[in-house]
Amino acid sequence: MVKGEISINEALCKGCGLCVYHCSRGCITLSAEKLSPSGMPLASFINAEKCTACCVCAWLCPDFAIEVYKYTDVS
Amino acid sequence: MNREAVTKEKICTAPKSKTGMPIMHCPGCHYGIIIRVICEVIDEMGIEGDVVGLTSVSCSGPWAYSFYFDSALCPHGRSPAMGTAIKRIHPDAIVFTVQGDGDLGAIGLGCFMNALLRAEKLTTILLNNGTYGMTGGQMSPTTLLGMRTTTTSEGRDYRVTGFPLHAAELVASMKGVAYSARCTVHTPANFQKAKRAVRTAFQKQIDGVGYSFVEFLSACPPIWGVSPVEALKFISEKMMAEYPLGEFKNVDSIL
Ligand code: SF4
Ligand code: SF4
Repeated sequence: MVKGEISINEALCKGCGLCVYHCSRGCITLSAEKLSPSGMPLASFINAEKCTACCVCAWLCPDFAIEVYKYTDVS
Repeated sequence: MNREAVTKEKICTAPKSKTGMPIMHCPGCHYGIIIRVICEVIDEMGIEGDVVGLTSVSCSGPWAYSFYFDSALCPHGRSPAMGTAIKRIHPDAIVFTVQGDGDLGAIGLGCFMNALLRAEKLTTILLNNGTYGMTGGQMSPTTLLGMRTTTTSEGRDYRVTGFPLHAAELVASMKGVAYSARCTVHTPANFQKAKRAVRTAFQKQIDGVGYSFVEFLSACPPIWGVSPVEALKFISEKMMAEYPLGEFKNVDSIL
């Protein structure tokens, strides 16, 4: 069941890959095609169906680039 | 599923006591995560109106821009002295210093030890990344034995440059200290433990018990010459082998 989603602020992300490593559900990837305004590879949210809104990626993003949303009414 | 139709609630974002200023550190540096630890604890304790953050001459200097509460950047190694002055003039303020391993362990060691000896009611947060990141990676007091830096090109040798400084253990041995712990933010569980340690440290100060101290092992990927993800392994395999995690002192009275 889908529980939530994240949004990644592309102006803040530095492409360090820590969120990709820490998400145990494989919801995030670093894409070489998408670069931030300062030329860093950007993290992007994939596998949206698997996100549990656990917030681990947001806690351990050093650049405060991730916000986590929990679905309250999935009808 | 129609994603537009769901109602959603934001459950995790930047803490209120963090300004919108972007973090100025290198990709994968743990300092941003430690800012989150401190600011989340301050939000949860509701002490943002009373807290004063003193940053030091290290990569953590610009944290004063990130703190949405009173803060100041101190002369090199002197934040415990500035903290002492602020605390004595405003005894109800909750004063903490953030210091790098060079700032606390080298130039500021005397100032720090004297503040401990005086049992000041301060909290110090030490950022231990084993190197002088700001000036390009020289050996610092906490550099591991055998670790290569720009000033120990063959690796640190104790016969030439001595042994690494174990700050949390040293602090725990001092009479004026109420709390001393070492933590990391390299896994989600350790992130939560670090929050508990910082909260306990602030509480010891609020209760007027004595000095409280939290050391963070923190990654510096560019200077260590590893990727941000490899740096996590360096912390768990190398740093934690030299610097064990845990609480070294937790007392309710220093007498
Ligand atoms: S942890 Fe943050 S800065 Fe690093 S790649 Fe993920 S979103 Fe970007
Ligand atoms: S909230 Fe948890 S499951 Fe969702 S992307 Fe972040 S780490 Fe993965």
